[in-house]
Amino acid sequence: MRFCWRLPNPEKIYLHMKEEFTLEIQAENNFSVLNRIINILNRRRVRIKRMMAHENEQDFKRGGVIMLLFTTPDMMDRVTDQLEKLIEVDLVKYQKGNNRYYELSEEIADIS
Amino acid sequence: MDALLTKTEIKDPQPVKKQVTGAEALLQCLVEEHVRTIFGYPGGAIMPVYDALYHYADKLDHILVRHEQGAIHAAQGFARASGKTGVVFATSGPGATNLITGLADALIDSTPLVCITGQVFAHLLGTDAFQETDVVNTTIPVTKWNIQVAEAKDIPAAIAKAFYIARTGRPGPVLIDITKNAQNEKIEAFEYQPCHSIKTYRPKPQLNLDQIREAAAIIHTARKPYLLAGQGVILSGATQELIAFSEKTGIPVASTLLGLGAFPTDHPNYAGYLGMHGNYAPNLLTNECDVLIAVGMRFDDRVTGNVSKYARQARIIHIDIDKAEINKIIKVEAYVHADAKEALLALTEQCASGSFPEWISEFSRLNTLEYDKVIHKEFHGDGELRMAEVIHRLSGITDGRAIVVTDVGQHQMITSRYLKLRDPRTHITSGGAGTMGFALPAAMGAALAVPERQVVAVIGDGGYQMTIQELGTIMQYKIPVKILVLNNNFLGMVRQWQQLFHGKRYSFTEMQNPDFIKLASAYGIAAKKVTQREELQPALEEFLSSTTSYFLEVVVGREDNVFPMVPAGAGVSEVLLEAPQS
Repeated sequence: MRFCWRLPNPEKIYLHMKEEFTLEIQAENNFSVLNRIINILNRRRVRIKRMMAHENEQDFKRGGVIMLLFTTPDMMDRVTDQLEKLIEVDLVKYQKGNNRYYELSEEIADIS
Repeated sequence: MDALLTKTEIKDPQPVKKQVTGAEALLQCLVEEHVRTIFGYPGGAIMPVYDALYHYADKLDHILVRHEQGAIHAAQGFARASGKTGVVFATSGPGATNLITGLADALIDSTPLVCITGQVFAHLLGTDAFQETDVVNTTIPVTKWNIQVAEAKDIPAAIAKAFYIARTGRPGPVLIDITKNAQNEKIEAFEYQPCHSIKTYRPKPQLNLDQIREAAAIIHTARKPYLLAGQGVILSGATQELIAFSEKTGIPVASTLLGLGAFPTDHPNYAGYLGMHGNYAPNLLTNECDVLIAVGMRFDDRVTGNVSKYARQARIIHIDIDKAEINKIIKVEAYVHADAKEALLALTEQCASGSFPEWISEFSRLNTLEYDKVIHKEFHGDGELRMAEVIHRLSGITDGRAIVVTDVGQHQMITSRYLKLRDPRTHITSGGAGTMGFALPAAMGAALAVPERQVVAVIGDGGYQMTIQELGTIMQYKIPVKILVLNNNFLGMVRQWQQLFHGKRYSFTEMQNPDFIKLASAYGIAAKKVTQREELQPALEEFLSSTTSYFLEVVVGREDNVFPMVPAGAGVSEVLLEAPQS
């Protein structure tokens, strides 16, 4: 309810139930990009359970971050819109659950 | 000799490429960006820039303010009045941190600024050097973008990118932190390359005609349509498009605080000012309309009141350039993610002509009620001077021709209610952040940006004293700002809340003020004080006819309140016309 802009429709109550999401972001690898990303999540009180940031192997001027977040579907939509606004951010996508997070983090760990 | 000459091939000497310092490069970039006015305050870490500035006096006008907060608010006023990007210089450490309030204000009110801060030498970064603050990390939450530049060669590209980001899309403040070594280093003379695109930044969305058609289809079903205009209309220069849309469709238009000026207040379709202290009808009828079209506004909590009670009956359409604003506060049925001007043009084409006389008459009926219950009493009192009658008379003389800059508090709400406005960019205030101390420096900036318009700062006695030091800047540069202080010897808005909701416990809101007339006189500013009703009109006429800066203090009722009012936690239809009896 904290972030609800109206009383929740009982049929859409799932929008207000927290669950795990894997968030993938690709961005220019500038100083402070990661801080800007974290700031958006912090301001919305989105819980970060795990996180891995990396430079791209082929091009160190680009990088990415993957996060395992615990929040509501509704909040994911909102923070995604805000993250897409960041000047250096190229791509933001998310999916439910933690499978994708562990797949990606293993890939990144293998490369390094 | 001849032999020697034949043996030694004499080559033309290599032309020595001209070199410039990073500081000179910065100033050259500003000139290339058509900057003329800079507001700033020097200090150790930005001295190379100020040294270079000495030689740029014919190209750049630097206004030495009395505090960095004054510089950034002045730049905001400059940007809001002119539509150009405001530019600020400050030094490292406290110089930079003094910009924070203005950055936050500019970010939330979508004001394009480029702030240049000096920084300690690169090799001292992170060592707690004298006047070293981590400005980039400190300003992340209050800037649209920021960057630290530690090498002179990177300055031109950073400046180009900064101006592009600041002014495009939803505008906002950008900060460039330049280390002192980068200011001193020499680079080869260069040709400035303005920035026209950034790979990862898409400031202007493509207009989607399917979204327009969907919005038009909803509008066609309406019996009680209602349009809310925000600052996005002004920022996109869509005033004429909004008027054309309203006139064709017959839809009444209300304005948010920052949207004031987007639609002429004397237009027959103007419904009034929205918000916690807005007009009665536009608030109340938000909860009676059947289609609500929000253009370039972000459903601020001062507009919506309790969101769970906001326009639940209405089909809502949101038009905004910022995708993150859509569905952020109010869930909408349809949206148009586009620049307001393009969207309104397309929507006007798609929508049929219409008129809603019965619906418009509802606004008129409620306006009459507001007049009887509130306005008549404010204009025709016989006791202490009321804030409303001062602004009403001021508006009568300026007749929508002046730029009026307000501070934050009761006087701000009163001005928003009673000021006649004809043109965009003639009402400037601190909206989202609600920054007391904004008006005096912002009015300076507006006066420098648009010298052909009269600029009036309307301020309360509390906010006036927050940036009062800028009287020195007004004096030094002979900026013809008219300063109208409504003095009730209280922090009036907080006092009003204490009276209405905290059992009249006036906890630390009463102010003992200095002699403002002597203070203005000390700065060489003409000044007058009004305490009686009969003095008001001639004093205002003298005030506004002055060609120089002028300070007018009007002593108003100590416990004058602003109504209508949507109490905290209430819905917009619970707007009060007078204080509750209990």
